[in-house]
Amino acid sequence: MAQPVVQTIHRDPALFWWILLPITVVMILTGVLRHYAMTLLQTTPKKQVLPQIRQHRSLLRGVNLRQNANVLSPSSFQARKAYMVSAFQEGKFLADPEGRGKPRPNPMSDPAAMEGMMGMMKGNMAMMVPQTLIMGWINAFFSGFVIMKLPFPLTPQFKSMLQSGVGTRDLDVRWVSSLSWYFLTLFGLQPVYNFILGSNNAASQVAQQMGQVNPAAGMMGPEQDPDKLFQSEAENLEVLEHWWVLEGVEDRLLAKMAS
Amino acid sequence: MPQPNLLTPPASIPPATALALSQKAPPILSKSPTSSLPWPLSLLLSTETPATWTIHENLFFAALRTGDDASARKVLDRLTSRFGADNERIVTLRGVYEEALAQNEAELQKIFEDYEKILREDPTNFAVRKRRVAVLKSLGRTNDAITALTVLLENSPTDAEAWAELSDLYARQGAWGQAVYCMEEVLLVMPNAWSAHAQVATLHYQSAHTNSPPSVSALSTSLRHFSRALELNSSYLRGFYGLKLASKALIPLLSDAPMSNSAKKRAAENGDDDDVPPPKLQTVKRLEELATEKLAEIVRNYNAGKKGWTGYQEVEVLAAKELLDKDGKVER
Repeated sequence: MAQPVVQTIHRDPALFWWILLPITVVMILTGVLRHYAMTLLQTTPKKQVLPQIRQHRSLLRGVNLRQNANVLSPSSFQARKAYMVSAFQEGKFLADPEGRGKPRPNPMSDPAAMEGMMGMMKGNMAMMVPQTLIMGWINAFFSGFVIMKLPFPLTPQFKSMLQSGVGTRDLDVRWVSSLSWYFLTLFGLQPVYNFILGSNNAASQVAQQMGQVNPAAGMMGPEQDPDKLFQSEAENLEVLEHWWVLEGVEDRLLAKMAS
Repeated sequence: MPQPNLLTPPASIPPATALALSQKAPPILSKSPTSSLPWPLSLLLSTETPATWTIHENLFFAALRTGDDASARKVLDRLTSRFGADNERIVTLRGVYEEALAQNEAELQKIFEDYEKILREDPTNFAVRKRRVAVLKSLGRTNDAITALTVLLENSPTDAEAWAELSDLYARQGAWGQAVYCMEEVLLVMPNAWSAHAQVATLHYQSAHTNSPPSVSALSTSLRHFSRALELNSSYLRGFYGLKLASKALIPLLSDAPMSNSAKKRAAENGDDDDVPPPKLQTVKRLEELATEKLAEIVRNYNAGKKGWTGYQEVEVLAAKELLDKDGKVER
């Protein structure tokens, strides 16, 4: 009935004050700093010119007509459909009617797209530079220290996660190395930033990586040909089966009120 | 009575509430929302929240509405120092302030020219475009206002507010067809807005009465839109009011069925009728009874001050009561 031997390592209490705490504080401060750096680096979104707004919103109007067509009476819907379909097919709302049918220019030569890429680069830089620096700093000064013990047992799979930089095979998983503590703070500080900076901060890298994917998925991304969008919307309108929500509404209302 | 709250949009508050709101100006103005410390320290001690500026903006409108121009000026100055004089919204607010203070047509004319200048520099400033329409309206140049709105909507056809305004302008001119068209655009943007349905219904109802005898198809469309508004919101006073009016107008027309039947056939041959037949006489009668009953219920409960029934506007309840009294069927 022998108890498993509990590993005890006598740690210098100074390890807490001089390694654990500094790493944590530095990580939090970098996050805060990164947030403000990102705010400063952000370029104000460029203003759209009037024809582009018109193009975008006209398309939106077509989408609205398609989605909410059932509020219109049949005759009123047919009139609108005829107008919208012909206007869309003629390309009446295009911001650049001459550019119809031409292939899209290379995004590399488009200044607007370049700007977006620059923004992405800036974000990446603000993330990479401090990360590299801090990683180097920790590797140079604190590598190889075991700095704390988790108060709960863990399975051996966590060994690579919690003890990077400490090359001992038999060490209990509960011991955490300094480099691992750095990684834990790197990925786990989001709630802390939320608390300090508010919920839409730019401190966390995870959120940034998500943000970089998103804008390209926008409905009217620069790489999409607006004319194609209009054509497909016209087709959608053509095949739409129309019904009127007001048909029989009086009976529905009576039934509803009677119950 | 809904609580006066500076975070609700100013358009939907009755005058009494607006007065209550503008009287909140002194305590808000006595506190500074931004910290007076130099830059890095001010970040730590600022009490500024996004709501702060919404409150300021709504306070500005409430103050102007109640004639408290001095407070409005202070709020405007504060907003200007925070966001800069070139901010689109600030430009608009300043315009509203100047419009409110303008004494005569010449001053309005000057403001109008300022707007023109701003728009020449930045044609995408839709808020200023709308202000420009408002000035044209107060100058009494309705036709110019309509033209300006058409241009605005040509460029931004998903703007429900502008469509509603244009519809209103057309309705004033008696151009019912156009007014209905514009209101239907609002419905396309907001398909479940019962107030928009009621407005469409009202326009149809008014247009029906321009020719005598009132056209059955317009009246039945009106009836249906009112019904839809009530389907979406079953305690909508205006909906019941309109439903009663529309059904009362429809009953005599549908009653002499043979004549209207032949008229309907003729209309169908001409192809100007909707392909949906008018509702049955029985249904319309029952709708009329329903509306009367509900209106009476609302009036009764409102006057008794019953909980949950006092949210109606007093004017509307009075109008409903009057309608019922005229009908001579008030159940007490």
